[in-house]
Amino acid sequence: MASTHILSAFDEELQYLTRRISEMGGLAEQMCSDAVRALVNSDSALAQKVISDDVMLDSAEREIQEKAIITIARRQPVAADLREIVGSLRIAADLERVGDLGKNTAKRVIAVQGTGVPRSLARGLEHLSELASVQLKDVLDVYVSRSAEKAEVIRLRDEEIDAMYTSLFRELLTYMMEDPRNITTCTHLLFCAKNIERIGDHATNIAETIYYMTTGAQLEGERPKDDTSNTLGAPGL
Amino acid sequence: MVSLEKIAPQQTNGRAKIEIKNLNFYYGESKALKNISLQLPERSVTAFIGPSGCGKSTLLRVLNRIYELYPKQRAEGEVLVDGQNILDRSQDLNLLRTKVGMVFQKPTPFPMSIYDNIAFGIKLYENLNKTDMDERVEAALRRAALWNEVKDKLSASGLSLSGGQQQRLCIARTVAVKPEIILLDEPASALDPLSTAKIEELIDELRADYTIVIVTHNMQQAARVSRQTAFMYLGELVEFDETAKIFTSPQEKRTQDYVTGRFG
Amino acid sequence: MSTIYPRRKALNGIMMTLCVVAAAIGLAWLGLILGALLYNGVAGLNIAVFTEMTPPPGQAGGLLNALAGSLVITVIAVILGTPVGILAGTYMAEYGRFSKLTTVVRFINDILLSAPSIIVGLFIYELVVRPMGHFSAYAGAFALAVLVIPVVVRTTEDMLNLVPNALREAGSAIGAPRWIVIRSVAYRAAMSGIVTGVLLAVARISGETAPLLFTALNNQFWSSNLNAPMASLPVTIFQFALSPYKEWQQLAWTGALIITLTVLGLSIIARSLTGRREG
Repeated sequence: MASTHILSAFDEELQYLTRRISEMGGLAEQMCSDAVRALVNSDSALAQKVISDDVMLDSAEREIQEKAIITIARRQPVAADLREIVGSLRIAADLERVGDLGKNTAKRVIAVQGTGVPRSLARGLEHLSELASVQLKDVLDVYVSRSAEKAEVIRLRDEEIDAMYTSLFRELLTYMMEDPRNITTCTHLLFCAKNIERIGDHATNIAETIYYMTTGAQLEGERPKDDTSNTLGAPGL
Repeated sequence: MVSLEKIAPQQTNGRAKIEIKNLNFYYGESKALKNISLQLPERSVTAFIGPSGCGKSTLLRVLNRIYELYPKQRAEGEVLVDGQNILDRSQDLNLLRTKVGMVFQKPTPFPMSIYDNIAFGIKLYENLNKTDMDERVEAALRRAALWNEVKDKLSASGLSLSGGQQQRLCIARTVAVKPEIILLDEPASALDPLSTAKIEELIDELRADYTIVIVTHNMQQAARVSRQTAFMYLGELVEFDETAKIFTSPQEKRTQDYVTGRFG
Repeated sequence: MSTIYPRRKALNGIMMTLCVVAAAIGLAWLGLILGALLYNGVAGLNIAVFTEMTPPPGQAGGLLNALAGSLVITVIAVILGTPVGILAGTYMAEYGRFSKLTTVVRFINDILLSAPSIIVGLFIYELVVRPMGHFSAYAGAFALAVLVIPVVVRTTEDMLNLVPNALREAGSAIGAPRWIVIRSVAYRAAMSGIVTGVLLAVARISGETAPLLFTALNNQFWSSNLNAPMASLPVTIFQFALSPYKEWQQLAWTGALIITLTVLGLSIIARSLTGRREG
């Protein structure tokens, strides 16, 4: 925002929200990559750290919510300010969900420990998580720069993650069909893959929110989806 | 409960009650309104907002030509009410003002009884017997949601009422002469929040029958009561749109800066 | 803290003392005058003052003809002067508020307001008494009316100017023509102020002596003929006070007391009217 409010305390409150969101974003991003690293390396200590980090993320979200509500009550924001605050609420909720998904992934580390994750699967998961991490990181950069065009670009990139997820899904199915003893591990891994894919969705949500915050318009139309896993395994496939 | 219809953006399919075309206004040599063009829909609330001296009150005062009370003020251009140019020399001012009523910033009850305050305007143009007049006075006071508070003291002075009641008395007085358009010049700026809320509720009720134009310093008030909002700055009309639009995603930067409190 | 503050405090004390002393001196003279008036006037105050005519020198009597004369002349003067004053004030405050004429009229009115009353007396003498060839109550009333006008013009204009413009706009805004707004709204709002102005005008003229000397002159006897000289309280006081006769001097004191009390009463009524308006 170019100019400042006549009431400088209002600016400070908005800046506080922005700063907290960025912090939350950094933490959520860290949690996702840590969770996948813990999964691939069977690192239960790292998994434990992810689980405890989520508490911080949760409390950060609650704090942002409270501050936002207080700001609405006291400043009665309109136009760009109102969109900014409502956007902060939505982004904080998305980031909190990202944290939950990371935590959920970390929890599964213990379950799959010692079963040995097949190398190709591990690489697939790592790649998926990299994509999601980049998505998350980029969207947080866009949050700082408030560029509507970049937000739109990021939103379209979700396609890649969806495609990657579908191929992982296919691979996991194959493993399970090959040897029923793999089912437990593979199911856990399937959930992990799903979690990572969901993180990508949340990043996309955030991109949409940023677009709305910046322009005041909602992005119209269904966003591109390449997640065809929902029809996979249906008769005839 | 607010119905969805109320907050949904209104299709301005209602015809334009007031049509302002290329309006310029001068206080002596200085130009206070610069080429304003604007259409105000019928039976709807339109708010004029903007910083002090932006011309919003001036624009309102053109609509019933009350500015004619003072010398050296003149308007150029066209203001069509129901298609008829009220700036025309042949326009009878008193008849215009019975059609376009006005309520002012400070409550202005006349120095007479509550009853006479209402009856005064009616008597100017209608010859009613006592019973009919009583009915009209009661109807006007009911319309302004004041009847229950004053029905036992109609002969008391209008000045004995509280500020908020005085303002509602002024609205009743305006409504009593059966206008089609009601102009409100900062009607609640001198009132406490509760009285303000009552006035706003009243505006909301009157909306069904009258074309209402309100000037307000209080942006939240404009957001609450109006359907269209015009933002004015330095005598220019900067933006005119649905109120919902102006307060969520205004198109003009100056509007954005003003409604979010960024004007220096 | 520097030495500035104690110095200021001391200066403040000195200035306050000076102001109080000056006020006390002013009030002291007023008190002395009122005291002397009461002391000397009350002694002669009895029912005869109001029931008997002014006596010939050396005899007892009253002030009846002078009181009645003053009343008649004052009433006529007010009846003549008030409408002119109110209408002129109305023009200045309402119709002609922004016109040049108003500025000119206001300036002249202010001169008239402070013009020595003896000049007004001379003016009427030239205008009425000389052409008619004799003194008359009419001429006296005219002279006083000329004194009433500027006072009423001034207060009417001031009081109408105090009526908020918003009230006039409100009147016009429901479609009332200008004259109705003035009559039903502005006059009502300014009513007590205008009445106060008239009362002050009465107070002003009831003590005037100089203009009456040239116009109504005086009359030892009861007269109801407006076309002939008529007695009045101020002129009678003037004449009796200068006389060597003890009875006349006593009546002069009593008359002075009556005038003073009347003016005081009018001022109090005027003050209470304005007070109520603002309250």
